[in-house]
Amino acid sequence: MTTTESSLPGPLAGVRVIELADRIGQWCGKMMADFGADVIKVEPLGGVAERKVGPFYQDVPDPERSLYFWHYNTSKRSITIDLEQQAGRDLFRTLVDSADILLETMPPGRLPSMGLGYEVLSANNPGLIMTSLTPFGQTGPWRDYKSTDLLHLSAGGQMAGSGYDASDDPEQQPIAPGGGNGWHMGSHYAYIGTLGALLSRNVTGAGQYLDVSVHEACALTTEMHVPMYIYTGNVVQRQTGRHAGSRPTPPTQMPTGDGRYVNGGLGMNAGRMKPLVAWMDSLGGAGDLTDPKYADPATIMAEGAHISEQIRTLVGRITADEAFHGGQQAGMPWGAVRSTDDLPADKHFRARGFFPDVEHPEVGRSFAYPGAAAIYPKSPWRIYRRAPLIGEDTQIVLHEIGVDASAFAALRAAGVV
Amino acid sequence: MTNRPLEGVRVLDLTWVRAGPWATRWMAVLGADVIKVEWPEPALGGSTGRVVRTVPGMGANPPDIAPTMNSDGHFNDMHALKRSVTLNARTPRGLELVKKILAQSDVIIENFSAGVLSSWGLGYDEMTKVKPDIIYVSMAGFGQAGPLAEYTTMGPSVQALSGLTSLSGVPDKPPAGWGWSYMDDTGGMYGIIGMLTALQHRATTGEGQHVDLSQVAAAITLTGPALLDLSVNGRPSRRSGFPPGNRTTWPGTPVLDNYRGPQAAPHNAYRTAGGGHNDWATIACSDDSEWQALVGVMGSPTWAADAKYATLEGRLKHQEALDAGIAAWAINLDKYALMERCQADGVPAMPVQSSQDRVDNDPQLRARGMYDPASHPLLGTWPMQHAPWQMSGTPTPVDHGAPICGEHNIPILVEWLGVSREELREGYQDNTFWPRSVPIESYLLEALEHAGAAS
Repeated sequence: MTTTESSLPGPLAGVRVIELADRIGQWCGKMMADFGADVIKVEPLGGVAERKVGPFYQDVPDPERSLYFWHYNTSKRSITIDLEQQAGRDLFRTLVDSADILLETMPPGRLPSMGLGYEVLSANNPGLIMTSLTPFGQTGPWRDYKSTDLLHLSAGGQMAGSGYDASDDPEQQPIAPGGGNGWHMGSHYAYIGTLGALLSRNVTGAGQYLDVSVHEACALTTEMHVPMYIYTGNVVQRQTGRHAGSRPTPPTQMPTGDGRYVNGGLGMNAGRMKPLVAWMDSLGGAGDLTDPKYADPATIMAEGAHISEQIRTLVGRITADEAFHGGQQAGMPWGAVRSTDDLPADKHFRARGFFPDVEHPEVGRSFAYPGAAAIYPKSPWRIYRRAPLIGEDTQIVLHEIGVDASAFAALRAAGVV
Repeated sequence: MTNRPLEGVRVLDLTWVRAGPWATRWMAVLGADVIKVEWPEPALGGSTGRVVRTVPGMGANPPDIAPTMNSDGHFNDMHALKRSVTLNARTPRGLELVKKILAQSDVIIENFSAGVLSSWGLGYDEMTKVKPDIIYVSMAGFGQAGPLAEYTTMGPSVQALSGLTSLSGVPDKPPAGWGWSYMDDTGGMYGIIGMLTALQHRATTGEGQHVDLSQVAAAITLTGPALLDLSVNGRPSRRSGFPPGNRTTWPGTPVLDNYRGPQAAPHNAYRTAGGGHNDWATIACSDDSEWQALVGVMGSPTWAADAKYATLEGRLKHQEALDAGIAAWAINLDKYALMERCQADGVPAMPVQSSQDRVDNDPQLRARGMYDPASHPLLGTWPMQHAPWQMSGTPTPVDHGAPICGEHNIPILVEWLGVSREELREGYQDNTFWPRSVPIESYLLEALEHAGAAS
């Protein structure tokens, strides 16, 4: 079952985006493209570096087989332009003249040095919104520093909060959670700022320049850690599988009978106690929690450690799925710690149409992708097309901006496109 | 004079806890008039988010200020720039007033479990009778549709269920997970993405719609390359050597992808001088030239000249010895000094920064004004978290903090919606505009008297 009408245009239909973005900003561009914007990815003639990042289809390294590139570039079009040549820069300017948004992730100062700064690019296109997403922003002492996903999670505070109790790791090494989330955090904020500018332009007609920093986006993404320090002076310490705290808190990641875990943290209160105990009792594992004294919020608070221990003991006897569904049906906001391996079979998300099959005609197959986070009944968020081949849309995009067939042939002969 | 980008947009904010309020926080920063409808009844677990945190080690109440519903620093930051009105949506009069606000709003957003708002008479269909083009954003964990829609989540369970938790940690230990509710922060991001994107659709077509966000689905999209390795290549991520901690490949296991980016070595955290919990720095050399530059920064030690380290393949194969050599060098340096020396020679390195480091010791964030102070009516002036963007045409400073509870009752209820002062006074007693179980705040009565004197 899917509740979206696949023939409807997306919410960003009619918006043209030029994406000159690498690993830093490709996620932002993907969101725009899956929302229906016409996102034109400008690549160098051999393709962007992200095409060299694995995993690869059938483990064969090839710029057209990178699953990393596939995921982050769905629904976009690709044009190759050699920006090292003046003719390429002129072409890029013409392309940007046709755009609503330019999303770029070049090192600070690089585009202006090529004659492609905001003032130049907006001269013919005063409504242009130019979003520069860079590791540290366009100003400040670190603006030219190198970064990676690991380094952003380090400086941004994610690692200071993630890791192990001393009993699990005596070194308590800071851990950088995987998945490339430093770039996700930057891209989420870049998207929000850019849409804010677009909505403003709908009213005023005026474009503007946005200087967005991945470092600042990461620094904003540790929930209470910063306010806690600002208001109390307390600094959190790492704990296994749960919120870091300024003082130790009880474990919440519970081992299950099938060798997995259930996260049962944060959420016990008087209203939840009764159905939870009833469920535990039905499995013969409520112990003394059936005592009427546990109806009293003060007792629940005071006996928190004991209650947790009883829950852990029961959960240790059953499977992660049994604990997850049983706990949820008793009203607890628990979650089984699942691997990505468990996800494609998930009946709930399949029912929501969340894993669309995306066709790859070159290999004659379709693959399940993670789809849209939200269902938009009137303007679907969806994957329109697999990621583009290198320069796949060069000729048609150039045709759209007035480059005729003979001019195109000349550009190609000169190695500009 | 400049306006903020969303000047003229109004948001009826029925969110609570963290993910929803973080979404509307950024709508307020962008200039929307965010009206936070509150019902500060402690029995609801602090449904407004004004709960005084009772878990030791987790709070943000200044130690020298008595805990009240207006004293939590976390709340002050999370609700900056919003307006607050107190009313009970589960009374006929409260519901009527919510609908009056709705009639003059562009967006309504809520993050209750699926079905809760419908049961109060505030479902989407009901709302479109009041405001046909309303944008209604729901952000439940499992969304509004699907067999598990009734399930309840919080940040940590979203992370667990989506696979994000299991992407964090080292082999042969439990998942390390995320040391905060990453998916409350990021669920909030998707909440505002939902609002902004639907506003653009409305600007183009005139149509509103009900955006059905699932926070778990949003989290799953963040595991994309791992999922594609499974759906395309059939490779599970529940495998030996995965997740590989801070490295791109765990030593002694096949060189497979970690879904963070390219293979690299060194790629790890190293202890630095000082011996503190966060005296660590990270170094990541993405190619041979960055590695050679690091060798130079380390003073060209003999061990590093070994040919086995000259190539990425060799460095990945000999990571244990490589990391031990770097660790022996790093332990004598302050983490900021290590970063400066490395970056001066083009080696990617950063300190592991705590919250304290970011606020007090990070010259980049200071130069960019990330924690410039702002005022709150009762707490005074404190550093606030600012936007991670500079907008040239429509600046978005976070120039004041959260409203106190009911701060805007007079302008919203009396001056705008036409509630009489007598009705408001009675409503403060009869569970319409203030919970009967909670003593009325004196500032609300004073504001009421003042409003009377002014009229």
